[in-house]
Amino acid sequence: MSEIVKTEPFVMNIGPQHPSTHGVFRVKVTVDGEQITDAEMVIGYLHRSMEKLAEERTYTQNIPFTDRTDYLSSMSNNLGYCLAVEKLGGLSVPARGQAIRVIMAELQRLASHCMGAGAFANDTGAWQTPVMWFNRERERILDIFEMTSGARLTCNYMRIGGVAFELRSGFEEAVRNLLPRLQQTIADGQELLAENEIFIARARDVAVVSPETAIGASLTGPMLRGSGVAWDIRKADPYSGYEKYDFQIPIGYKGDAYDRFTVRLEEMRQSIKIVEQALDDLPGGPHSTEVPLAFRPPAGEAYARIESPRGELGYYLISDGGPSPFRFHIRPPSLINLSVLKEMTVGASVADAIIALGSVDIVVGEIDR
Amino acid sequence: MLSFLATDHWYDLRDLANLYRVVLEGLDHIFPTGLVYVLTALLGFIAFFVVFVLPSQLYVGVYGERRLIGRMQARQGPNRVGPLGLLQPVADAIKLLQKEALTPRSADRLIMWAAPVLFVAPAILIFAVIPFGPRMVFADIPVSLMYFLAISSLPVIASFMAGWSSNNKYSLFGAMRIVAMSISYEIPLVLGLLAVSVLSGTMSLQGMVYWQQDIPTWMILIQPIAFAVYFIGVSAELNRTPTDIAEAESEIVAGYLTEYSGMRWGLFYGMDIAYALGASAFAATIFFGGWSLFGLEQWVPPWLIFILKTYLFYFVFIWTRGTLPRLRIDQLMSFAWKFLLPIALINLLVVAVERLIWTSNDLPDAIVWAFGAVNIVLMVGIVFIWAKVFKYDPKKRPTKPRLVNEPGGYRPVDLEQGGPSL
Amino acid sequence: MSGFGITVAFWILAALTLASAGGVMASRNLIHAVLFLIVAFLGVSGFFILLSADFLAMAQIIIYVGAISVLILFAIVLTPRAERDNSETSMVLPALLLGTTLAAVLLFVLYDANWNVTNVEPGLSAEVLGSALLSVWVLPFELASVLLTAALVGALMIVRRQEDEEGDSAS
Repeated sequence: MSEIVKTEPFVMNIGPQHPSTHGVFRVKVTVDGEQITDAEMVIGYLHRSMEKLAEERTYTQNIPFTDRTDYLSSMSNNLGYCLAVEKLGGLSVPARGQAIRVIMAELQRLASHCMGAGAFANDTGAWQTPVMWFNRERERILDIFEMTSGARLTCNYMRIGGVAFELRSGFEEAVRNLLPRLQQTIADGQELLAENEIFIARARDVAVVSPETAIGASLTGPMLRGSGVAWDIRKADPYSGYEKYDFQIPIGYKGDAYDRFTVRLEEMRQSIKIVEQALDDLPGGPHSTEVPLAFRPPAGEAYARIESPRGELGYYLISDGGPSPFRFHIRPPSLINLSVLKEMTVGASVADAIIALGSVDIVVGEIDR
Repeated sequence: MLSFLATDHWYDLRDLANLYRVVLEGLDHIFPTGLVYVLTALLGFIAFFVVFVLPSQLYVGVYGERRLIGRMQARQGPNRVGPLGLLQPVADAIKLLQKEALTPRSADRLIMWAAPVLFVAPAILIFAVIPFGPRMVFADIPVSLMYFLAISSLPVIASFMAGWSSNNKYSLFGAMRIVAMSISYEIPLVLGLLAVSVLSGTMSLQGMVYWQQDIPTWMILIQPIAFAVYFIGVSAELNRTPTDIAEAESEIVAGYLTEYSGMRWGLFYGMDIAYALGASAFAATIFFGGWSLFGLEQWVPPWLIFILKTYLFYFVFIWTRGTLPRLRIDQLMSFAWKFLLPIALINLLVVAVERLIWTSNDLPDAIVWAFGAVNIVLMVGIVFIWAKVFKYDPKKRPTKPRLVNEPGGYRPVDLEQGGPSL
Repeated sequence: MSGFGITVAFWILAALTLASAGGVMASRNLIHAVLFLIVAFLGVSGFFILLSADFLAMAQIIIYVGAISVLILFAIVLTPRAERDNSETSMVLPALLLGTTLAAVLLFVLYDANWNVTNVEPGLSAEVLGSALLSVWVLPFELASVLLTAALVGALMIVRRQEDEEGDSAS
């Protein structure tokens, strides 16, 4: 700005009460006109001290906590935690249990990306319509979760050594009926949003994260893949039998908000492929191994990681041989993905900052734990 | 020219002006003569606003919009209050009246109070010049086009007052955005309408309806560019998607309305609908033949034809709101100044030449069809050239990500292939 | 110009215009002053309507209320808060002098002019105005447009030069 014609910069709070912060998250931005000159992130409004609380409870009792960190993908959280405990205790999971876990984790990814894609469309100003369209299909996935585990959002379905219950009769039919509908919704999202001129104008070249920054800030998930880095824990460090399934990793071109959106849509297509394969050869046998109720893993430490819908979700456990973990730590992908928000927003306009935040697809429950 | 068959009897419902005249004469007998100004204004207010606009606001603007958008969004919409939810707008209004209208302590109390009032007045005035039928126009002034533009520039000031006086940063953002938007889009809007006025040789809305009835044609077929400019400009002024940046919910909460609550907010909301109805009525008059429908207006009440056209146009507003994302303010600005303004100017030039050819050579009326064809070709050509200049090619842009089979580091991409962005 | 209603309207408009013009001067807050100015403009356009100059009245509203006042509001909001209030300056005395002189001149003209009463129908329609501007008054009209263009280019230059200097110093 020139000396004569100057505008007055002022500080503005976006959040914690704001329609587009996806929970109680606050960004303190300094704006000059419409341009953001500084951004400061304030988190902690949803802190529930889960990591400390987990040290007082048994390993099995901790599973419901993991439901409540990333509340949009409880199945994935369950899976990550159970893998960590199994690694700690040296347990193995029967083939059927592994396949059920994969089906559930991929359905959860579909549900979570439905929410992410819809909410991002809402941030671009497509007033509620994509959210409702995607949520309609998400509700159907949650119906299947309810059918299987009895709960829609906080499923608490995985157990140490397998899953809690056998699949209900009619499960396979319900999933097979659902998948074509999901394909249709993804195709709608592709046509109405990804190929929409206004949407492209809003999301292309906005909130660009270069591959160097993405790797340097240890971003994971669609944030990293959107920047053109081919990295997926399911391929790089397979768990729960993912090596058996045929799927591909979608990566973006420029690392902008648009790439992240299209990567999410493509991941949904790949997830459908995985679910179909898993259903096709669902092995028989037990769904879980017998684990004593007061499970005492040997003293030691273990880190297990999975590809959650938001990125690398890691659980780090230290056991002192007792019935509850000595140390319980979560590597939340949302928090680490959010760390580049300042790089994305400074210099952009307020409208683009909202797009940038929406493209990260945060869940504040996971950031604050 | 088709003559209009309606009689002078007050019970001839094809022309409600008779009824209006009878009522006014009756009232004039009762009250002293000096009150005739007040009576006329009051009757006009009742006839146009209370009888037409208010029910339309409630049942097209609130109920119809919510039901239709509900259907577009795969949900039901209001269906609890009364049969089919028909009492929902009434319930909404009662709720708004009961709610407390808060004023922040640091707000400018007087201006914050005055803003909704000033927002309402032009909404009522705007319907004074709109012809509902051959004689059903409250103020048939010769410059009614100018009147419409003048009145529609007033609510911007009320919106600005609302945003500034709230002493809220989101409100201030909304106020600045609405002012910038209205200044930018007013110019192409006026130029677009000027072309219409040049072609029809009149600035009276009633005159334009007669012009379209005489040819007979609809102005949208003759002046597609003017219609496109008008539609985009007016949806920008009305804060409708894709240009609703002044109250962009996902960005600045509610824009200039952030601090408003209760019926003060309700006035803004209701009058927004009234302005959209006014813009729809204006578009129906200028571009869709107003109350005429190729001779059918002799048998069907013309006001019914007109109201249906208005509602159809309003439906387009609802439709865009239910489907389109929002543009950023700098994109909207550059669109107004770099595309709409030049295209409106070119259109004005072409229309002026056409009008000159028409009148100086004394050509028959059917020549406007040729003009229409020329204008449509011109519109397509301009858009095509514009796309060429900016190297716009949607087929070259990738809309799906690349797929790889093996994990690894960064996969470089030829950025040319990454696609040009708009 | 006769009739009870028109007389009442004239006095109401006169009172409104004068009161809001006074408000422009008296108000300390610049935004309030501009809002008073808008009311004054609206009052003036009311006078045009009373004089059967519909076109001028509408043009007055579109240009002065719809565009110029809004631009002034925009400019005030964008300027730093410190420079925004209408505080005392050393220019009070020259301003008073200038105002008094202007008022004296206007009052003198008002008193001295020979106000003829004619019976000619007021014919200030848009068509008459347009053809007059483009035939009899074409030179002043074009001169005014050249002047406005020059002002526009000048305003652009003021901002432009500053940016260029910044670019020079940065490089």
